[in-house]
Amino acid sequence: MTALAAIRDLTVTYRRDGRAVAALKDVSVDIVAGERLAIIGESGSGKSTLALAIAGLLPTTARIEGHIDWFIRPSSILGAQAPPSVLPDISPTRGEIGSSVAGTPPAALEIGESGGDSAISPQVGEMSGRTEGSAVERQLRHLRGGVPLLGRDIGFVFQDPSASLDPVMKIGKQIAEVAHTHLGLGWPQAYAKAKTLLERVRLPDPDSALHAFPHQLSGGQKQRVAIAAAIAAGPKLLIADEATSALDTIVQAEIVGLIRQLVAEDGMTLLFVSHDIALAAELAERIAVFRHGQLVELGTTAQIVGAPAQPYTRALLDAHIGLDAEPLLNRAGLTL
Amino acid sequence: MSLLTVSNLSKRYRRGGNTVIAVDDISFHIEPGETLALAGPSGSGKSTIARLVLRLIEPDAGGIEFEGDDFLTLHGAALRARRARLQMVFQDPLAAFNPRATVARVLDDPLRIHGIASRAERPRRIAALLERVGLAADLAPRAIHEISGGQRQRVAIARAIATKPSLIVLDEAVSALDVSVRGQILDLLLDLQRQERIAYLFISHDLGVVRALAHRVILLDAGRIAESGDARAVIDAPQSAIGKALVASAPKLKRTTQDAS
Repeated sequence: MTALAAIRDLTVTYRRDGRAVAALKDVSVDIVAGERLAIIGESGSGKSTLALAIAGLLPTTARIEGHIDWFIRPSSILGAQAPPSVLPDISPTRGEIGSSVAGTPPAALEIGESGGDSAISPQVGEMSGRTEGSAVERQLRHLRGGVPLLGRDIGFVFQDPSASLDPVMKIGKQIAEVAHTHLGLGWPQAYAKAKTLLERVRLPDPDSALHAFPHQLSGGQKQRVAIAAAIAAGPKLLIADEATSALDTIVQAEIVGLIRQLVAEDGMTLLFVSHDIALAAELAERIAVFRHGQLVELGTTAQIVGAPAQPYTRALLDAHIGLDAEPLLNRAGLTL
Repeated sequence: MSLLTVSNLSKRYRRGGNTVIAVDDISFHIEPGETLALAGPSGSGKSTIARLVLRLIEPDAGGIEFEGDDFLTLHGAALRARRARLQMVFQDPLAAFNPRATVARVLDDPLRIHGIASRAERPRRIAALLERVGLAADLAPRAIHEISGGQRQRVAIARAIATKPSLIVLDEAVSALDVSVRGQILDLLLDLQRQERIAYLFISHDLGVVRALAHRVILLDAGRIAESGDARAVIDAPQSAIGKALVASAPKLKRTTQDAS
């Protein structure tokens, strides 16, 4: 098992109504290269915050402590071209002060920037008070080893495809743009790639879909387009954050099958964020259960589903109402 | 006599230049104290039927009889009075309520509008309603946007039962809730049904919940009834293509070593 990313002591705090709310508390987890890892939890569990943190998409107002070590091969990263502001300064992060987990320097350091960034990155509390530096730059300081780039090294699929697709740009261009930007393809090649991707996500009639606008497609078709755009640059990691939650079960099963196939064909690592433990268990090899911003339990799908160690995991499993559940009507004595 | 009888109901929409048949010649009935579920994929007509039954939209053809009256010809005071008996709870109560309104205000409205309780009596009735749905009375002054999703859905149920309805339309009413909260809300709905003999038109895409909660189910496909019958009989052995597809696509939890401890 080689890690793709090692998340260490990650704490993310949002300010809400003048109060600090910890969305993630001291989370440490490895993402294994090539695995399908599910992050499950109820609302407020921190599962989406974790996905956003990994993708470097947290809002500027979020305070981040701890770090994420990446072990992505140099051929696939833009680490060497990262802007100067990414280079670490000399103050340690709070996560490192408070913890000894950050012991082993990641292997990726050998190919990354200077080896010096293993223990040095800016102090977060200090940074969050400054106005300089974009959100992405600020978050990159928490990424050590190679610095992955969203769109190129990480593909992200959101719950609502309408929100991630430009409503006034043709489908073909939205996908071709990713290939053009991140793979350096000329536009004709990028469009050819877009058409191939629309075929791969099994969109009916890919030729006319290239020239369609998002509103002309159904919800399931839009999500297929969003997936095509997410994988267009051949990312190492695909993050699907409640990507099927707004779809009916029939379309959901199709999209889950599609994600499974694409991940296998391209050798991607999958991070599948969901509230649905049954759906997660059908797709993932490992499941991480989150609650109130903390990692409750992490194990293989068989362990989590068959022999949960934590009462909360068991409660989640018990709350699932499957097609074989004892009818509530009988329990309530309401059979007509 | 059935509580609700829907006969040959049809509704078409114009979308762009096209006509979409959302509901196509649908007939069904609901008995007092019964839960009838409508299930089907997106666009199968579930929510359109709910809105037709509530008279939020008018049908192109067909009839709706509720508590013995032709519900489609009622208007004015008679319609308002009958609407008290036919309530609704939607998926997102935040969208249904003014978010700045307090819990007390949300519950005061139906009591006042339908003349159920005098001004002096209403605070006591509101406290009783909150208690009935398992909420503390001190929640009354809180704003709707301040309380949790589960609490909000309990408030929505409290408002629905404030007017002593015989039928509540539940349109994906538990779909957005966390599973731990969902179980409690389902228990509350069953308890109300047992105590007050309320009937439910339960609209859901979740066959597991439908099978556990409903007496009968109608599976819809493209605005038509694909199959219907006893909820467990239909879902355990679906005959229609859409029924088979819905059952096949429902996520299944295989707890091989069940209750390993």
